[in-house]
Amino acid sequence: MKKNKTMIVVFLAPAVIMFSLIFVYPIVRTVLMSFFKIEGVTDAMSKWQFSGLANYIKLFNTELFRISMWNIFRIWLVGGLIVMGLALLFAAILTSGIRFKNVFRAIIYMPNVVSAVALATMWLQYVFSPKFGLFKTIGKALHWEWLEKFQWLDPSHLFTALLVAYCFGMVGYHMLIFASGIERIGTEYYEAATLDGANRLQQFRYITLPLLKGVTKTNITMWSISSAGFFLWSQLFSMVVSNTQTITPVVYMYQNIFGAGNSMTERNAGIGAAVGVLLSVCVVLIFVVCNKLFKDNDIEF
Amino acid sequence: MKKKMLSALLCAAMVAATLTGCGGSGDSAPAAEAPAATEEAPAAEAPAATEEAPAAEATGDTLVYWSMWDAAEPQAQAISQSIEKFTAETGIAVDVQFKGRTGIREGLQPALDAGTNIDLFDEDIDRVNTTWGSYLLDLEDLAKANDYEATANAGLMAACREVGGGTLKSIPYQPNVFAYFYNVAIFEEAGVTAVPTTWDEFLDTCQKIKDAGYTPITNDNAYISSLFGYHMSRLIGEAATEEVVKNGDWDNEAVLKTAQAYEELASKGYFSETIESNQWPAGQNTELAMGTAAMYLNGSWLPNEVKDIAGEDFNWGCFSYPAVEGGVDGTEASNYGAQVFAINAKSQKAEQAFQLITYLTKGEADALLSEMSVGIPADSNNAEWPALLNNVKPVMDSLTTRYPWGAGAEANADMTPIIIENFTKLCGGSLDAQGFVDALKAAGN
Repeated sequence: MKKNKTMIVVFLAPAVIMFSLIFVYPIVRTVLMSFFKIEGVTDAMSKWQFSGLANYIKLFNTELFRISMWNIFRIWLVGGLIVMGLALLFAAILTSGIRFKNVFRAIIYMPNVVSAVALATMWLQYVFSPKFGLFKTIGKALHWEWLEKFQWLDPSHLFTALLVAYCFGMVGYHMLIFASGIERIGTEYYEAATLDGANRLQQFRYITLPLLKGVTKTNITMWSISSAGFFLWSQLFSMVVSNTQTITPVVYMYQNIFGAGNSMTERNAGIGAAVGVLLSVCVVLIFVVCNKLFKDNDIEF
Repeated sequence: MKKKMLSALLCAAMVAATLTGCGGSGDSAPAAEAPAATEEAPAAEAPAATEEAPAAEATGDTLVYWSMWDAAEPQAQAISQSIEKFTAETGIAVDVQFKGRTGIREGLQPALDAGTNIDLFDEDIDRVNTTWGSYLLDLEDLAKANDYEATANAGLMAACREVGGGTLKSIPYQPNVFAYFYNVAIFEEAGVTAVPTTWDEFLDTCQKIKDAGYTPITNDNAYISSLFGYHMSRLIGEAATEEVVKNGDWDNEAVLKTAQAYEELASKGYFSETIESNQWPAGQNTELAMGTAAMYLNGSWLPNEVKDIAGEDFNWGCFSYPAVEGGVDGTEASNYGAQVFAINAKSQKAEQAFQLITYLTKGEADALLSEMSVGIPADSNNAEWPALLNNVKPVMDSLTTRYPWGAGAEANADMTPIIIENFTKLCGGSLDAQGFVDALKAAGN
């Protein structure tokens, strides 16, 4: 037994050391930084000025940060409902034994393979264009004046445009996760249900959905994490300077650490750290709620 | 017992191997907080990572230059060509690393803090002198010893000293100016014979262009705040504008006056119909370059950016933002500046670095850069500007007062997006002047 203890220590040590260095240390340092005013992100600790909760207070009092939190909430909730809904629908259709399943799956997954920069440029400069955009052309062809005249990119609708474009790209990814979950469910359940006279919808409601609980939890957690770190699409939908419709907390964090746009603005890595801490708290909260809502292992199959 | 010893030894060896193997990432652990630096910073230091730093670095003969350009940009290509020649002529090897705008912005300071071997770097005049000011070597002595200023642009050298806190810490190149760029063909067709210098003349010009069937003014979300900044600065000066923006003093009457001026432009239909939807580069590409809109307030890099769309025969005009009645600044004031080179204060090879800077900013290398990037030359002996920028020269020469970026409109990062949103609505006509002021006041609370 004694020998085993030494062995355990020796074998665990590298992992523990690396974990502490790469995960624990940055987390502790970030939390610490959020209580200081720090101009450059790599400034030595001797240059940090303690400011207590000032960074958090400033964040809560800044309209732009509140807007960014509201945006991320909208992306998470509205985008989440759309993406999860469509992903589940497509997954159910794809696993129902339709023809050309692989082709459809590849098509729906395609946006994940294309670079986000190319996708966003396509949406922004072509699909939504008020001059020669795809939606404008479709509206014209169908004589739908509202669609033809709809200004996707003006300050009142840019968020909708961003959400449509982002969801388009995300459906395929979550669809794959759902599809693999559905395929895991044994066919005998469906056969038995068919014998009992259940139709397709009833099978979906009473067999597929309950058995997808764990997968749904995974999907929601992944969606929450990627929403919290929403950055690239926001940047791509407001090049050079940020926009009230597309700004997210991570973009706000970036501006405070590296400066905003082309002008020389005040930098404070402490505020950036505070944003990071707040976002982590949000993700942990969502995770806890998810765990409560979807208790694991109550169904075994 | 033997077995125990052996296993302990093996374990020790394994731990040691793991730690050595991770030596690189161990080094970079402090840099882990600065995302961009993680990959590059250790590479330059650790001799083992020789991807970018060739053997010469070990002997300390190579100059390390972190560049703001992306390798594919014409500027980078021109600089690469010139550096090859420089090395051939002087025997000084240069390790140039094209980091791009974001690479430099995110990675330079962490790399300098970590003691990475960087001799010189470049970026925008304000960022280098303001954000990285404490890392810069004072260049006064080197400039004097090499008689650098004999053929340098005096105005830009003065600007460098001004932002450097009274001393020369950077050397300008690729000068630029931010002013109204216009389509000369449309001006001629509309019967506009002289560029507008006052607001009334500007309104008159807009009307003539509109009557000729063109869109007088367009812009994009990326630059539209400059319209607000320039007008405010014409009225009360740049410093006062910056104060208003930073302190949220939206009751200042200049704000309402500016808003009213733009409400008038909007109500008369002088803006592009799609101004509210113009996400950069839609306005500059599909309106100005395509010849449907006449004017765009932008930097002198614009002709280069749209040259493939506009075509070779596009005749570019340029004028400084017009003066407004009762204002403190006139057409002599504008945002102008340059990219600047600076030398790391810790560099062991400052003399060679200065030699390289001199080489790149003068004579043939400067002319090549100007030609390839359709940019303004830095060497005053390179009197010939690219043909596309012929009309920019008189404007550049007439400027005496320097505004920073956006003429103060973007001085407060927490307000910039809110100003842009509401100013865009004002230009599009979906908000009136009072509504604009009210929206800014509401956001400040």
